[in-house]
Amino acid sequence: MTHLQPERSALMLLALCGTLLAAPAVQAAGGDPHEWLDRMTIAVETTNYEGTVIRISDGRAEALKVLHTVSDGVIREKLIAQEGNGLEIIRNGNEVHCILPERKSVLVEAWNDQSTLFSTLPSSDIRFGSEYDVAIVREDRVAGHKTVLIAIRPHDEFRFGHRIWLDLGTGFPLQTQLIDAEGRALEQVKFADITLNKEILASDLAPSYSIENFKWYNQPRRKVTPVVESRWGIEDLPTGFRVISTNEEVLPGSEAAVSHILFSDGLANVSVFIAAHDGKNFAETSKVGASNSFSTMLDGFRVTAVGEVPPATVERFAKSTRLR
Amino acid sequence: MNEAIRTQLSAFVDGELPENEAELLLRRLSQDAELRQQVAEFIAIGRAIRGDSQVTGIDKLRNRVSAALETAPSGGDVADDVPVDDRLVRPMIGFAIAATVALVAIFGLRQMAGVDDQAPQLAGGEEPASYTQQQPEDILEDELLRQMRRVHDESAADQSIKSRLTSLGISEDLDELESEDEEDEEDEAAPE
Repeated sequence: MTHLQPERSALMLLALCGTLLAAPAVQAAGGDPHEWLDRMTIAVETTNYEGTVIRISDGRAEALKVLHTVSDGVIREKLIAQEGNGLEIIRNGNEVHCILPERKSVLVEAWNDQSTLFSTLPSSDIRFGSEYDVAIVREDRVAGHKTVLIAIRPHDEFRFGHRIWLDLGTGFPLQTQLIDAEGRALEQVKFADITLNKEILASDLAPSYSIENFKWYNQPRRKVTPVVESRWGIEDLPTGFRVISTNEEVLPGSEAAVSHILFSDGLANVSVFIAAHDGKNFAETSKVGASNSFSTMLDGFRVTAVGEVPPATVERFAKSTRLR
Repeated sequence: MNEAIRTQLSAFVDGELPENEAELLLRRLSQDAELRQQVAEFIAIGRAIRGDSQVTGIDKLRNRVSAALETAPSGGDVADDVPVDDRLVRPMIGFAIAATVALVAIFGLRQMAGVDDQAPQLAGGEEPASYTQQQPEDILEDELLRQMRRVHDESAADQSIKSRLTSLGISEDLDELESEDEEDEEDEAAPE
């Protein structure tokens, strides 16, 4: 019989005590992580709130004041950048005004219903199959609220993981992180303070600036032509990704129509663009925040893959694109 | 910025500036943000064109800081006939200034040029060129790629808020668009 050394026994006892003490906390948060994701989806769609969000990406932090209300299914919200150029984004349903006080300009855009601060989060519609595991990790505290931490872990190196802290009372996401293979947070959004279910008045959502004399710009709508049968395909598609849409459209910066194929595994998205090469040089790899891109040449076409996935994933998409 | 300074900066990032001139430039860099920006652009251009991650100027600076650290005097190395205050303080002040100037320059340049983590690599088979070459508009995050990112964001997860909050931002978009005021003025000016 092997005898444990006293120090080792003490450590094991401490670890056992820690496990026993932590277990009730996780149980209090509820046992099924998918139910928490369901609750989160409903909370994001229905909760009024006002707070300050900190967004950290690429080693930079920026703070935003956010007011958000939903009534009769219509989202109204106002985001105010707390640093830099004083950008304000005011949304009324699908119409969005981006106000740049320094330039005395307003850019008018049309967003769709899914464009929210949390639109990159998984919805309850997503079924986590062989590509991800979802689990409750522990209880925690964010912005003074008790939360439950949900971890979504990929099974392979072709996608990022997520950590989501949900308010225990409402299921509202108070903090989110995009996680790389080494467990580092590539990007995170976190409420520094928040008041949930707050009554937001119409006057609260008005611009902070007098914008009558500002210049107004309209972002033209994209002219997209759906393609039923694309002549392009991916030879070596990472597991779980499937085609969501195939379109052709003329982009600013390109003379001819560009083919655009969107892939998704239910959580991560990758776009592949195929454009006739105009002879200009281009960067093979590029990175903006957690979004990576990889461009390569194929038979006189520039093939570019873009997405919030690891660099190896966009490289694989781009390099395995083929004419059918 | 005059041509002489531009040439000096170019030589500096290529590691070809004489030591005494480099020292003066370092001091100026530590005090002149515009100049640091210019050097950062030279570095970024050079790295993009060469597709490499090494920058001679930065390495030289780093070596200089290391050398300064290694040769920093300890109390026992200082001559005995120097007054105690001067023995300890004067060399340290000199070291501190040199190291600070170099570190400010390194830190500022690395921040602006993204030396460590953003090294775009060229595709398309272009030959490497000199740092002194003017920045081709299509080298770094080219316009087509910027539009592709935008389309992806809109199509994929509808991350419009995120897109709008990144430095890809609105200003460039505004520059490309004609304002409604201008359209109205053109309409009014047009003959019926």
